[in-house]
Amino acid sequence: MSSAKHAAGRLLLRWETLLVVAIFGVGVWSTTLSPFFLKQANLLDLLTPYVFIGLMALGLTFVVIAGEIDISLVANMAVSVVCFAQIFAAGANVWVAGLAGLAVATALGLVNGLLVGLLNLPSLAITLGTLAAYGGLAFVVFTSQEIASFPSDYTELGGGYISNEVPVALFVLLGSALVLGLLLHASRFGRYVFAIGSNREAARFSGIPVARVRVTVFALCGLMAGVAGVVYVGYFGSARADAGTGSLLDVVTAVVLGGVDIFGGSGSMLGVMLALVLVAELRNGMQLANVAGDTQDIVIGVMLLAAIAAGNLLRAAQTGGVRPGRLLQRRREVIRHEAAEAVVPPRFDPQNSKGR
Amino acid sequence: MNVRGRSVSAQQLAAATFRLREIGLVAALAVAVVFFGIRSQSFLTVANWQSIALNVAIVVVVGVGEMMVVLTRNIDLSVGSIVGLSAYLSAATFVHHHGISLGLVALLAVVLGIGLGLVNGVLVAVARIPAIIATLATLSIYRGIDAQVTGGGNITAYQLPDSFLNLASSKPAGVPTFAWVAAGVAIVGAAALRWLPWARDFYAIGSNPEAARFAGIPTRRRVMTAFMISGALAGLGGFLFASRFPTVDAVAAKGFELDVITAVVIGGVNVFGGSGTILGVVLGALLVATIQNGFLLLRISEFWRLFFNGFAIVVAVTIDALVTQRLQEMLRRRRAEVLAAKHSEAEA
Repeated sequence: MSSAKHAAGRLLLRWETLLVVAIFGVGVWSTTLSPFFLKQANLLDLLTPYVFIGLMALGLTFVVIAGEIDISLVANMAVSVVCFAQIFAAGANVWVAGLAGLAVATALGLVNGLLVGLLNLPSLAITLGTLAAYGGLAFVVFTSQEIASFPSDYTELGGGYISNEVPVALFVLLGSALVLGLLLHASRFGRYVFAIGSNREAARFSGIPVARVRVTVFALCGLMAGVAGVVYVGYFGSARADAGTGSLLDVVTAVVLGGVDIFGGSGSMLGVMLALVLVAELRNGMQLANVAGDTQDIVIGVMLLAAIAAGNLLRAAQTGGVRPGRLLQRRREVIRHEAAEAVVPPRFDPQNSKGR
Repeated sequence: MNVRGRSVSAQQLAAATFRLREIGLVAALAVAVVFFGIRSQSFLTVANWQSIALNVAIVVVVGVGEMMVVLTRNIDLSVGSIVGLSAYLSAATFVHHHGISLGLVALLAVVLGIGLGLVNGVLVAVARIPAIIATLATLSIYRGIDAQVTGGGNITAYQLPDSFLNLASSKPAGVPTFAWVAAGVAIVGAAALRWLPWARDFYAIGSNPEAARFAGIPTRRRVMTAFMISGALAGLGGFLFASRFPTVDAVAAKGFELDVITAVVIGGVNVFGGSGTILGVVLGALLVATIQNGFLLLRISEFWRLFFNGFAIVVAVTIDALVTQRLQEMLRRRRAEVLAAKHSEAEA
């Protein structure tokens, strides 16, 4: 048990160290591209365009650790952005409208949660369906092309700066990461999420309210999509029905590159935040190098695949290079060995037993 | 004994469920046809149905490949990008090599698709990356390559040879060539799934991957094969796509994977793998294409269609799961009854 814990700790350490090293590496590369990269203002502003992606990644982390996936969350964000803007345009106070957006996003997450957690449907297929359904809904609900007349005291939230240097959105991201990090790593709910992700049956038998936790996890993911939407509108200063299209790859990459096990049961908020920094830095660097958006996607996609493949290899190395196939063979050898060693019990012999 | 006489066998039960699914699809199709027929005068015309047939054909061709992947309890989200890349490269080949034969270009499209499918297969079967993540990444990667290749430009119908453009409008024996191709793919696919051992393995792998492996099925190789078939048919689909929509750019067939997956899932192919029929996929493709066409004629927003596709997936998956659960429960109860009957027989 303790050795397994040690191994897990080492893996975590190694993975996150690797991320930090990668962040420095990309930083050095970026500096060679532009002397402005290392300016304090640029470094502080690096994450600002990716805050909404980070907020979604934080929510998705819970879902993936619980052993599920939610690919509908980008479409969920679009719906919440649209509802938010629509309610605001109808004359509501911007903060009230924002709360309504959060409520819509949570409700859509809850729909996923009820289908997956209560009816035990596969989250892959369900959220693929709701990805399309919510994506269509965002356009259908939105009656205008674009709404862009938001008050400046609200847009500060996504695009404003404190003393002209520190972006406000960064605080929203770090605050959310802190709260959700505590929820994941230091609360009973978080432990339940890990337990369900590593073995749902075992979790159920040990009295964890599995259905309730799974539903909550999806609702939480929806809520974070809503928070992302609020920041998104603040950053871009406008709401459109295609908000966040194409950000799914970045969100999933941040989570998986952050060391969250795609099969559930392990992961950390720190890793996800580091991976987000790496993705943001890499995209920023590629922009400095004039790489087109679609080509950037190739790099991010390859990185996502490499992260999982590397994770699989590392895990194999952690178990002493024993892969399931070899493990099976080893077990057979042991059984054969034991069978040969074992004292063969004397056969039941009716004549002998008579003598006794 | 009377217990056994009263209940039906497991196979009969499963077959009945499938039939129910197909009857339901036909009923939904009938409702859609009647609805659109009443609302739009041009819906029930021969020309319109020939146009629907072209769309159905492309979805069926790509859908048969997608179905093979889903049977093995995986999914291929990258087919839309493969169709797009193959469509552009097919068109570009015609532009750069005048007088090249149609068959050769189609073959090149298929070979391209096999290569891209092989990449998916290796990622899933060898690197052990979950299919949804692996193909989500290759969806972006293939689309990125497409953008690189097109360089922001496009190919228009004027640049393409007439023989290629006429492919979509030609109708040997009154039926569009595309429909013949789709029928061929569907029949070969159905025959393979019925009689070829390696194709039947797809069902075994999807039903129970562990059991399939212990039964000596080379699961990795089979999963790779399924992805290669999916890639090959998506490549062929791209060739057809370029003939049908001859202005090809980097966003061609973007989101097409959703049409395909909707057709496959509402066609009754279980997303948990292990069950599904080609007939179901064809019916699913018919329904998807009919509704697409009807919405277009009634000028209903494209986005309602997107919503419909997503909603249909959720409903189909929900019904599937509930029916499967009910079926399993019935079988378990039946087995218990049979055991109890045997037990009492032995007692007596």
